[in-house]
Amino acid sequence: MIACLLIPGFELRAALRSRPGVGLEPAALAPEPGSEPLVGPVTAAAQAAGVEPGMRLGEALATCPRLVLVERDPAAVELEWEGVLRRLEDAGFAVEPAEPGVVSFETKGVERLYGGLEAALSRALASVGTAWEPRVGASRRRFAALAAASVARPGQAIVVADAEERRFLAPLPLSLLPLAPERYAELEGLGVRRLGELAALPEPAVAERFGPEGRESWRLARGGSGERVRGRRPAAELVEALEFPEAVGNELTLRRALGSLLDRLLARPEREGKPLRKLAVSARLVGGGSWRRTATLRDATAERSRLRAALGPKLAELPAPVVELRVEAVELAEHTGTQLELVRPQGEVLGARLTEGLRQVRAGVGSGSVCAVVEVAPWSRIPEARALFVPRDE
Amino acid sequence: MVAHSRGAGALRPSGRVNAPRPALVEAGACGAPVRVNRQAVAFLREEWRVVDRWWTDEPVDRRYFDLVLESGQNVCVYRDEEAGCWFSQRA
Repeated sequence: MIACLLIPGFELRAALRSRPGVGLEPAALAPEPGSEPLVGPVTAAAQAAGVEPGMRLGEALATCPRLVLVERDPAAVELEWEGVLRRLEDAGFAVEPAEPGVVSFETKGVERLYGGLEAALSRALASVGTAWEPRVGASRRRFAALAAASVARPGQAIVVADAEERRFLAPLPLSLLPLAPERYAELEGLGVRRLGELAALPEPAVAERFGPEGRESWRLARGGSGERVRGRRPAAELVEALEFPEAVGNELTLRRALGSLLDRLLARPEREGKPLRKLAVSARLVGGGSWRRTATLRDATAERSRLRAALGPKLAELPAPVVELRVEAVELAEHTGTQLELVRPQGEVLGARLTEGLRQVRAGVGSGSVCAVVEVAPWSRIPEARALFVPRDE
Repeated sequence: MVAHSRGAGALRPSGRVNAPRPALVEAGACGAPVRVNRQAVAFLREEWRVVDRWWTDEPVDRRYFDLVLESGQNVCVYRDEEAGCWFSQRA
């Protein structure tokens, strides 16, 4: 069985960990700086006052003038989420996190350990802790498990049997599907409001009207694929932090601090000479709040200049002066046998390599094998008369 | 651009881009395709006719059909009215 554990409004809950009193008041997660002014998850008190997640900020404040806006705290979210994942891993579950607040895992390996599926799910809920109000759903398919978790009450585990999957999904709302808001409106305009109604439509008709996104939703409405869960590789615990005596907003200073943090990170013996695959840079901001960005490298590296080039531009996105800067190695790669170059290739060298590559293709396949597309009559009603392949033998 | 190297047939030293390729089509009574390359047709999205170059030795008379197959794949096929054959082509 695939289980999905859900903690609704995780970002708000994590941000409120340092201000527990606010959780009982009408509060909402503030919009992300520079994005559309829509409030994030809201507390139960705010919901009772008529504020809904995704509401416009002005409308939310007009509906509930006492509404407290909680500043986003991505570093706290990351920290708390990592804690949740570690507790699940300690209980024996190989987790595959989807986003903060949503994680999937297979129960097959631990069912015998805990004495059955229900017992394993209860163990997962207990390991996360009641303070987070987690809920869990289990099914043969991932989407059905997520749907079950989203209708479960806090602390409840819902198991959907194979035979009942379609019947279980049918009355659920379309909002469970990963669709753009305008798509929901379009589907509602066509009288489709429930997953069952979408699943009952013929696939080609849905594909023709809504494209690949629609087809994927149609498949999900019928239970989705039985894709297996891949447990994550445990995150590396390599962090370097630098606290400033006073808040710093100057990008040059921050870049220098980043360079020094990278040096310290690369010098850590725990790295065992492994190159870095994924890095994160985070900051504690003046006046509270935090900021965090991650960078995944196409080729894992331990070169300081490449790491700086990947993380440096992200510092320009800092919304406020910084009191502490942190660099974290999120994922390390295995050793790779890359050929080192003494001299970095430049424009002309790269051009020469391309020319040489094309020459080798011509030599291997024959003259006329390398062509350019030349438009000759783009207006033509006959499709094949619009452009020609012209050999490029020079 | 490098021509595709899979098979000698795919290698075209020079030629036309988007050239038509023969297609296996079963047509219904009205002439519209009901099966394309052994897949049933779910929808006929659009149909149009191209008649051109009638003044030359190579006249063009084609009836195009933009279709959705049961697998969800979109295809465009045409019947060459001169030769009486079916081809697939991106329109």
